[in-house]
Amino acid sequence: MKKQLVQGNQAIVMAAEVAGLKFYAGYPITPASEIIHELVNKKHIKVLQMEDEIASVSACIGASLAGLKAMTATSGPGFSLMQESIGLAHMMEIPLVIVNVQRVGPSTGMPTLPAQGDVIQCIHGSHGDYFPIVFYPNSVSELYAYTVMAFNAAEESMSPVILLSDGYISHLYETIMPHRDFDIKNRSRPPLGKGDRHFTGLSHEGSVPRTSDVDNYRRLITHLYEKQQLVAQRYNCYEYLECGKDTDTLLISYGALSRVAYYFKNDFALYRPIQMFPVVEEIKIIASRYKRILVMEMNTGQYVREIECILHREIEFIPILGGRIDLHEIKQKIRQKTIERNEE
Amino acid sequence: MDKESGFKRYLKLDLLPTPWCPGCGNGIVLKTICQAFDELDLPKDGTVVISGIGCAGRSAGFFNLDSVHTAHGRAIPVAEGIKYANDALHVVVVSGDGDLLGIGANHLLHAIRRKTNITVVCYANEIYAMTGGQASPITPHNTKTLTTPDGNPDYPTDVQFLFKHHNGYFARTSAYHLNHMKKCITESLEFNGFSFVEVRTMCIVNYGRRLGYKNSNEMLMHYKELYKINDYAEELAQDEIGIIKSSS
Repeated sequence: MKKQLVQGNQAIVMAAEVAGLKFYAGYPITPASEIIHELVNKKHIKVLQMEDEIASVSACIGASLAGLKAMTATSGPGFSLMQESIGLAHMMEIPLVIVNVQRVGPSTGMPTLPAQGDVIQCIHGSHGDYFPIVFYPNSVSELYAYTVMAFNAAEESMSPVILLSDGYISHLYETIMPHRDFDIKNRSRPPLGKGDRHFTGLSHEGSVPRTSDVDNYRRLITHLYEKQQLVAQRYNCYEYLECGKDTDTLLISYGALSRVAYYFKNDFALYRPIQMFPVVEEIKIIASRYKRILVMEMNTGQYVREIECILHREIEFIPILGGRIDLHEIKQKIRQKTIERNEE
Repeated sequence: MDKESGFKRYLKLDLLPTPWCPGCGNGIVLKTICQAFDELDLPKDGTVVISGIGCAGRSAGFFNLDSVHTAHGRAIPVAEGIKYANDALHVVVVSGDGDLLGIGANHLLHAIRRKTNITVVCYANEIYAMTGGQASPITPHNTKTLTTPDGNPDYPTDVQFLFKHHNGYFARTSAYHLNHMKKCITESLEFNGFSFVEVRTMCIVNYGRRLGYKNSNEMLMHYKELYKINDYAEELAQDEIGIIKSSS
């Protein structure tokens, strides 16, 4: 096998093919469009350009029900449009993969520049309670590996799995080893057209809608929650780098921004969640070794709340707002934060 | 007629009654769809029904087939995903005018353009009935509803014109004209391309009652008097039901 120089979005397509992708529906959007550009040349994958992202995710739900592994890819504005049907897919237990290559928002924002503003939208974008599995790699080779994981997790959990990326790593070119030795999970449910099942977004018991049976609804949500937790525990992916020298600080970051964090590996211990949701519990044990927890992300504080929630302690936060990742700026902000802390 | 051979084989009879009000026309449409299935002897393995949200949307769950009850307005794209994933399936969408022509109209426009080989049966009762009776995209001009107390200021959508230049199958029929309805639905199921059957049907509780109809039979009789059948016409007038078919 030969190493290949590929773009992040291209790596997603290569891995999706390995994972068994057979159906893609999408709508053009920067910085995710390269994914559909690559896919239209694959003869064994059905590719539809739909009229919008709502139709795209809906068509994927249909194709998945009909038995095919399905994927759609978008960026923040399209991801917002998909939210209602993502809730539907959780309720009907539809395996599919949704790639969100994040750009600067809100609204049209800065389409070509990277950000990390859609983290909370992944878990709370749709109405009601649902418990998605979300991965966020930080390199092209990780995009390749975690695309396969996303497909597998979708099949195991029978739910839409979200693969987060951003305009930086999706447009990055790196060499990867496109190996194919993955354990690929296949569909456990028979395809549509083989029975008398009814799939509905209404609260239901098996194939029968139960529109006002509260106890049944509570059982259904408990089932969805437990199922997602169980599958997520099989992945629980993160990166933890202990510091070469003695440090009291753990620096937490993820995605594109975490690539800059490696620069500080001689000053701080580093932690990077790859499975963003459900939050990896190991962070509790790791964080207990450090007096100081420093979180930086490309938004005004989305994942830091999740970290606070799970650790129940004071966390220092450095927002690096979307658009630019500048080492000099980050160094200054960390230094400033350290001075403030020492003055207190 | 025993259950295995007649139209009833396509229904989950044990789930009856439906959630629909007394006097509702949806049951007539549901039964006629099953009769059309029966006439064509559609295989139960290999036929799927997709619906959106609303009164008509609830009909999907009563088919004794694999069925999907999607989000509001999204029955057509879900159905297209199914059809493009497995071309061997007969894919039938059943939903209301609010779902298909209001919130989901964008998808209808593009499904017509893509000529996706699916059949859509629209239960057209001119009202958002499930939510209590608000104006729909085909509520006639000047009609009073909960959201148009002074009469609907807008004019209704006429779906037939969306089919111009796109070689689809369009039919308009009514809950009174049972044989015509069955013929339209049967033909649409046989049509190789995108087909749409608009069935005018009555909602007495959240619509007709407020317009002065005493009961749903009066609404049915109104269809009898109003509609003249004009099959295979170039264009249907407001008071005509019929079939507009182009080559697929």
